[in-house]
Amino acid sequence: MLEIGSMVNGKYRVLREIGHGGMSVVYMAIDEKANKTWAIKEVRKDGVLDFEAVRQGLAVETEMLKRLRHPNLPSIVDVIEDDEILLIVMDYVEGNALSKELTEHGAQPQEKVVEWAKQLCDVLGYLHSRTPAIIYRDMKPSNIMLKPNGQIVLIDFGTAREYKDKNLADTTCLGTVGYAAPEQFGGMGQTDARTDIYGLGATLYHLLTGNNPSQPPYQIKPIRSINTSLSNGLEKIVEKCTQRDPDERYKSCAELMYDLEHYDEIDDQHKKRQRAKVMLFAVSLVVSLASLASGITTQALYVNQQNSTYDARMSDAAQEQRNLSERMDIYRECISMAGKQGEADPFLKMIELYEQYDSNGQPSDIYKFESSERNDMQSLIYSQSNELKARGNYAEVCYQMGVTTWLYYYGESGYCGSDNGSYDSMISSYTWFKECMDEIERTNMDFKNKNLAEIYYKLSKFAKDENSIGLDGSGAEAYSSIYTDLCSMVKKVNNQTPIMQLRVYDYATYLMYKRTANFQQAGKSERNLTDLCNQIEEAMDGITVASDAEQELYDRIMARYNTDGIMGLKETIHYQYNNGAELTEENTAGGNE
Amino acid sequence: MEFIASASTDIGNVKKTNQDSLNVRVISSSAGNMVFAVLCDGMGGLAKGEVASATVLTAFRNWSNEVLPKLCVSGIDDDVIREEWTKLARECNEKIKIYGKRSACNLGTTLTAMLLTEERYYIVNVGDTRAYEIFNYVAVLTKDQTVVAREVELGNLTPEQAETDPRRSVLLQCIGSSDVVYPEFFFGETKKGAVYMLCSDGFRHEITTDDIFYYFKPDRMLDSESMRVGELTLIELNKQREERDNISVITVKTY
Repeated sequence: MLEIGSMVNGKYRVLREIGHGGMSVVYMAIDEKANKTWAIKEVRKDGVLDFEAVRQGLAVETEMLKRLRHPNLPSIVDVIEDDEILLIVMDYVEGNALSKELTEHGAQPQEKVVEWAKQLCDVLGYLHSRTPAIIYRDMKPSNIMLKPNGQIVLIDFGTAREYKDKNLADTTCLGTVGYAAPEQFGGMGQTDARTDIYGLGATLYHLLTGNNPSQPPYQIKPIRSINTSLSNGLEKIVEKCTQRDPDERYKSCAELMYDLEHYDEIDDQHKKRQRAKVMLFAVSLVVSLASLASGITTQALYVNQQNSTYDARMSDAAQEQRNLSERMDIYRECISMAGKQGEADPFLKMIELYEQYDSNGQPSDIYKFESSERNDMQSLIYSQSNELKARGNYAEVCYQMGVTTWLYYYGESGYCGSDNGSYDSMISSYTWFKECMDEIERTNMDFKNKNLAEIYYKLSKFAKDENSIGLDGSGAEAYSSIYTDLCSMVKKVNNQTPIMQLRVYDYATYLMYKRTANFQQAGKSERNLTDLCNQIEEAMDGITVASDAEQELYDRIMARYNTDGIMGLKETIHYQYNNGAELTEENTAGGNE
Repeated sequence: MEFIASASTDIGNVKKTNQDSLNVRVISSSAGNMVFAVLCDGMGGLAKGEVASATVLTAFRNWSNEVLPKLCVSGIDDDVIREEWTKLARECNEKIKIYGKRSACNLGTTLTAMLLTEERYYIVNVGDTRAYEIFNYVAVLTKDQTVVAREVELGNLTPEQAETDPRRSVLLQCIGSSDVVYPEFFFGETKKGAVYMLCSDGFRHEITTDDIFYYFKPDRMLDSESMRVGELTLIELNKQREERDNISVITVKTY
């Protein structure tokens, strides 16, 4: 084993162990001269049955791997070997393995899984198209890293191929072979692209259902028998990927990719058929109602019973003497109650409770919406999205998630914007406002907070893209329109709660202070900006803060107006418009704060 | 009721180590005579498989020394055994997993353990080691936890296809490599004048039910000497038929 702190090849200092598998250990190491972090994988002699065979196989394979370049693969930069040891130096990938996401959050939202599946399909397709084709053979959540930017990277690549073809005589355990396709156990023909497609299918199954196919009941069942809200199209895709007979699977990643890109169309066809069935049912229902009037009372009675159970449980959950987890459980029960699925109230109440209670389940004056709570709500909402949509409640629930995230999201760096100037909460609220707007558009519904939702959506999108706006030359347009949005938002929040006001004022003043030149370039006059500054300053006068968090925000905004020693907001604007340098390339791009 | 017990193991034709661990004891207790038998088939790279099988064997043997005497006083029933042995199997699983992590290798073991009292048999099973009851028939008391057994049960494979399926040595779970172990339990009445047998998969791949019946039928198993001969004969038969695995068997005669 490599020693922590030791130098490898006179170049890489080993910092710590970051993981290990059956035959290898992975370390984090630093190239001190270049100040760059690398991962070093050590294939250990005592970890494999026939080290010599493995080593020779690896030497050929790593040579080839060094030439691979793909955004979803770590690059191999160096291979170091002697009689005892084989070291592969490659990109250090920041992030978490999907297996960790599964442990922490269970089943993943299907939109995300499809996004990952496409990336995996892309990288597998790339590998299969090399000459000779490279078969990965070890697809499983623990081999897939999720980077903070949402990109995934296939790791643990380049271990010995020989090792992965199991020896028939040796007993092995499902837990160690993972999602291996039947043909990987030998005797059933060669492994090829379809072997990886099986592994990918089994991986998708695990991600979508949270059920590990190598644990009881050791089966890949139709995914909707586990979660009815999952897509029918995806169910078919997973089923086709994981056929026992390779001939019945997708033949190539390209074929699979096509279906992944159109999975919701497969859904639509399904829904149309379902709708036709419902119509047919409705017709026969009319007929039977005509002849069976007495049936109506029975049905009505049944509905009444459902209502009363639901109402009773909802008021049980509202009782404050119960503890948080108990109340949450009752709301969950209401969410899944037959005949009541898709009701918005239990969701809205849960969000509210999460705001008011801290992570230890105690009521708190300081409202925090912590990331674990956010994740919890997120998976619940995603799993019930079809039911919510069916009742026309999805937009409202998403809107409330968006607003709560915007106001109270408490991420790793604390509240949004606390000192470090990050706008995490605004950025994380984007997903929800987008879902909300999409739903409003899809259904063409009359949503009561539509205007507000739209501005929230635009602001959060702007916050998300702020650092990249302008890179494609659209900066002027973006800043011109965000100015309009800021003005209407400042007006709209005027009669809202202090925290809502402060969040908006904070972001508006921050942008004007930090991005004055961008507004100037967008054709906004000094007067435009000063007017907005004054409006906010006036509104600030009328705010009474009620908590430390609000006080902190309040102080930060006021500090921007302050002229002690440094230039205040209005002075900065004045200076930019009268003496300001031309906007340089770097400023346009946003740069780093 | 009286018991006689015997056990044999062989490294087999091919392997460099014997990774099976087994033990059987006849016990006289306040609750009457009983037999406690454990057979574990270890697996893992190089010389690590027997670490796993020995760990589990030792844990169960210690249990029979420390806990079983107390149960003889307080009473043995299905629930108590289920609870005790599940706990034991899971503890071993965690222990072996940690060992595997430290030494960076995968290892694990199957488990078949049997407590035979004068009234009842209690069997726990993980993996593909088996327990049999031989009377004027040969009955398998356990259910293999293998991928192919599962596929047969689901109707995806016929028993014939399962024999030659490439996955026939892939276990659904084993102690030491599974996230959580779910042992299966089998309970029933102890039959007088019968033979109970525990064996590793290496013992049964190459021989037939008829072979087993012929050599292990109760009227052939008269004393420990004849039982031992029967065991060695079948082990030899296995080797002649080119079995590649370690071969282990425990037999118990009731009378």
